[in-house]
Amino acid sequence: MMAIRELKVCLLGDTGVGKSSIVCRFVQDHFDHNISPTIGASFMTKTVPCGNELHKFLIWDTAGQERFHSLAPMYYRGSAAAVIVYDITKQDSFHTLKKWVKELKEHGPENIVMAIAGNKCDLSDIREVPLKDAKEYAESIGAVVVETSAKNAINIEELFQGISRQIPPLDPHENGNNGAIKLGRSETLAWLPGRPAATGQELSLEKTPEKSAMLPPNGLWGVKCTWEGTC
Amino acid sequence: MEGAQEDPAESSSSVPRFAEPAGSAGGAEVLPPEESGAAAKKLCGYLSKFGGKGPIRGWKSRWFFYDEKKCHLYYSRTAQDANPLDSIDLSTAVFDCKADAEEGTFEIKTANRIITLKAATKQVMLYWLQQLQMKRWEFYNSPPAPPAAPDAALAGNGPALRLELEQEEAEPDDFLGPVRTPPGLVGVAAALQPVPTMPLALQNISLKHLGTEIQNTMSNIRGNRQAQGTGHGPPGEDPPLSSEPQRAEQPLPSDPSTPGKDPADSPKPTPKSSLTANLIQKAKRQNNTFPFFADGLTRSRTAQEKVLALEQQVLMLTKELKSQKELVRILHKALEAAQQEKRATSAYLASAGEKDRLELVRHKVRQIAELGRQLEALEQERDSLVQTASLREQQVQELQQHVQLLMDKNQAKQQVICKLSEKVTQDFTHPPTQPPVPPGAADRDLLSQQEKMEQLKDDMEAYRTQNRFLNSEIHQVTKIWRRVAEKERALLMKCAYLQAKNCQVESKYLAGLRRLQEAVGGEATECSELLRQLIQEALQWEAGEASADGVELSPISEYDEYGFLTVPNYEMEDLKLLAKIQALEVHSHHLLAHEAVERPLRERWAALSDLAPSVELKQLLRAGVPREHRPRVWRWLVHLRVQHLQSPGRYQELLSRGQVREHPAARQIELDLHRTFPSNKHFTCPTSNFPDKLRRVLLAFSWQNPTIGYCQGLNRLAAIALLVLEEEESAFWCLVAIVETIMPADYYSKTLTSSQVDQRVLQDLLLEKLPRLMAHLGQHRVDLSFITFNWFLVVFADSLISNILLRVWDAFLYEGTKVVFRYALAIFKYNEEEILRLQDGLEIYQYLRFFTKTICNSQKLMNIAFNDMNPFPMKQLRQLRTVHRERLEAELHELERLKAEYLETRNSRDPAVPEGCTSEDEGEGGP
Repeated sequence: MMAIRELKVCLLGDTGVGKSSIVCRFVQDHFDHNISPTIGASFMTKTVPCGNELHKFLIWDTAGQERFHSLAPMYYRGSAAAVIVYDITKQDSFHTLKKWVKELKEHGPENIVMAIAGNKCDLSDIREVPLKDAKEYAESIGAVVVETSAKNAINIEELFQGISRQIPPLDPHENGNNGAIKLGRSETLAWLPGRPAATGQELSLEKTPEKSAMLPPNGLWGVKCTWEGTC
Repeated sequence: MEGAQEDPAESSSSVPRFAEPAGSAGGAEVLPPEESGAAAKKLCGYLSKFGGKGPIRGWKSRWFFYDEKKCHLYYSRTAQDANPLDSIDLSTAVFDCKADAEEGTFEIKTANRIITLKAATKQVMLYWLQQLQMKRWEFYNSPPAPPAAPDAALAGNGPALRLELEQEEAEPDDFLGPVRTPPGLVGVAAALQPVPTMPLALQNISLKHLGTEIQNTMSNIRGNRQAQGTGHGPPGEDPPLSSEPQRAEQPLPSDPSTPGKDPADSPKPTPKSSLTANLIQKAKRQNNTFPFFADGLTRSRTAQEKVLALEQQVLMLTKELKSQKELVRILHKALEAAQQEKRATSAYLASAGEKDRLELVRHKVRQIAELGRQLEALEQERDSLVQTASLREQQVQELQQHVQLLMDKNQAKQQVICKLSEKVTQDFTHPPTQPPVPPGAADRDLLSQQEKMEQLKDDMEAYRTQNRFLNSEIHQVTKIWRRVAEKERALLMKCAYLQAKNCQVESKYLAGLRRLQEAVGGEATECSELLRQLIQEALQWEAGEASADGVELSPISEYDEYGFLTVPNYEMEDLKLLAKIQALEVHSHHLLAHEAVERPLRERWAALSDLAPSVELKQLLRAGVPREHRPRVWRWLVHLRVQHLQSPGRYQELLSRGQVREHPAARQIELDLHRTFPSNKHFTCPTSNFPDKLRRVLLAFSWQNPTIGYCQGLNRLAAIALLVLEEEESAFWCLVAIVETIMPADYYSKTLTSSQVDQRVLQDLLLEKLPRLMAHLGQHRVDLSFITFNWFLVVFADSLISNILLRVWDAFLYEGTKVVFRYALAIFKYNEEEILRLQDGLEIYQYLRFFTKTICNSQKLMNIAFNDMNPFPMKQLRQLRTVHRERLEAELHELERLKAEYLETRNSRDPAVPEGCTSEDEGEGGP
């Protein structure tokens, strides 16, 4: 029996770069020119095989507008991976991407896998962000990078396959746990002061289910519980 | 109900009562009232029908009779015909009589033809018209046989409806008084009257219905032959016929009025027997009657002769007796004289002596002398009398002469008077200025004028009758129309109800399919294949249905009245079925609510003239504003909130500000413009002006409130306002009202603080109102604010189906954010059981993603929100908000502090950090 691993993934990026479209293409293989701007967040799942495992992606799609950034921690908290999207036709969106990377490094889970998606590659004739820039930057932060087109279904599967590959295979010792391991759903401290942010290559698993079960329901909202551990 | 059943019987029996005096005046029939009633009920008689083509066009005499069961007026060539030529459907007919047409002419107009008929007299015509009206009314009044057992919901208002109509029927129709039944010309009696003669025998034969004509002839012949062949009626006939011979044998003197009595006296055919059978019977009976009567006469001949002979003998004997009596009388007289003589002679003979005898003779002589004197005196008297007579004669003659004279004089005087008066009239009629007209011409003129006047009077009378009749016709038709409209409404209601039922059944079926699908899972069995097929079929239904019934029975349309897609656009295959189920449920709820709930609401709204804050208005708004009132009500609600901010020209001024300088938010607004309600046709249609309006409203708002500028979500609020109010300035003020007056400050600001506070407040309220659900969610570590944040920010614009959404907004615009809390709680309560059933956090999240759209019973949701969630004091809400705001701010401060601390620590450790990339990043981003 193939082990199912649940991977929480959040999508970040400037408004209108196509986060929801990428999710929509990945999950439903469908493209809509006009998807209602996400407010708060939306949630979808998709399971894909990876090696001898099944990866069930729990995708949290977030709002892009800057003022919703204050809500972002609750989405990327406990995420195994983050897909940071920019629009290759908008330099601004690349800047926003860098801000997100910075925030993840500062406040995100320590071993979060980061994947950079340069969306709208079907519009390469009005490109503003050269692929070279993106590649260089991704390399510098140890992230996966790929140019995608949700509209033409280019590299969407590959994007998530790239993430899957970055997730280290199951520790055989953990196999006793019902054959599945919940990665990223543990309420790991999102941010550990004084610890260097880990790149994907240095991923290590931390499982603290007991702790998460203790959390009071109303503590799920907002920053309080995120910061609990630090106090 | 009982009274209603009595009514028609009364109305029908009242007619013959009126008609009866006419019948008895005719002297023909004296019938018991019930029988006369039955006879009058049978509407039949001879009428002339205008028809034919070409040269044979003209009036034809036809026998008309009415069939109550079908409300058809049949006609045949004669009353004795077995098969009618044709029929006229009276249920859809209207009647008309024209004053300027020939006397007795009237028309029956049905949907596809006009039949012109002529009755013998005007009275007969009016009788026919009134009877036809009555029959038509009776037909409509008779309770229709329900095709199926009425549903409980409909049975409720069914009787009320009927009762209402019966009452209406009871009101008198006093346009045209009841017309007396013209004796002999209508009714069953008329069947025995000879067919009105026609100039041409051929003309009376219907060419149009040649087949029926032949059949009728055949049946007549057959009837005759049978009658002749069997003599005393055909064998095996029914009882009414067997009584015939007895009655015929009665030695009744042949009275001209008896034929009329015959059919009325004879037992009535049972209503079950068909009309044609009745006619055949009648024909046979008539054919039978004559031979029987002749037979009877031959039998009685000898007796009568005897009587006659005896009578003669009696007469002779009486004469003889008389002469004998005379003889006796003469003999008596002779006897008397003889006795006197005998007495005288015996006295003479008895006188003994001569003296006595002399004395006797003397006495006689004296007597004779006396008589002679008397004679003389009388003669003298006579002479004198003759003299006086002649004298008188002379006097008379004189007087006669005198009279003659006077008469002459008188005549002369009269002549003078005549001449004078003639002169005077001449002077009058021909004033001296006019040239004298020959007296004959004047006379003729006068005569013709008088004639004309007479004609005009006749016309007037005719028109008056026509007018009266038409009035009654209009009255009747209106009544019928109203009744039919009521019926139609009832049927439509029933139809909607059935459709709703159908929708529910269909949705249940689909839900069942879904369950099955889930249960079978991915197993590739025969069963799952079948299931897949069934689901495919079910999803295809809609198209087929639409083309099949095609009528305006409110089929599920793709878009609702505000342009939202009715079938939620779930792209995932497994949710398509669910979407269809939802659409069906929504539709069925809509259909059910339409009559039962929305109608009274509409009436209440229509009755509400002036809008003023009140408890009643609050209740009305909570129940939802009908679509036709919504723009007006919203405008008023918005005005109530923003009147202190409004100033004339403010909107235009804000717009012009945007033209001078681009607002920083303009880019984001532009980006979201075409992403607003992608499922609404008003925003997706490329020719629609809604996106342009929306752009202007949002830009104006970004200038109106620069601290907020533009926040994603405001586009939805403005779009809803636009969809309802249509006019952009009103929509703008609506947006201002929501953001600046209803929502707490900082709701859409850069930090969204108040929005976050409200999420915590909601958590508290959920814990208080739905502890079981919250325990369940806590157990599965589900954080509801992922879902509910959106609800509050856009006031459910993304979540609820449009008709519920707008109801929420109706109350929200009046009562404020409390309504949002109430509904947020109600939505969870509505689906509580469903959520409790789910035992996995992921599944719960999946469910919460779309579960708001599955709510279709707005009534139920509203009841939960405003009743089940009570008590809901505003004070509590305010307190919770204050508490959580303080906490949140404290946390934010703490966060800032920790952040700063961290940065400090890191900076101090910075040289030790081996990763070059992060510091690079640091440098680029800059703190």
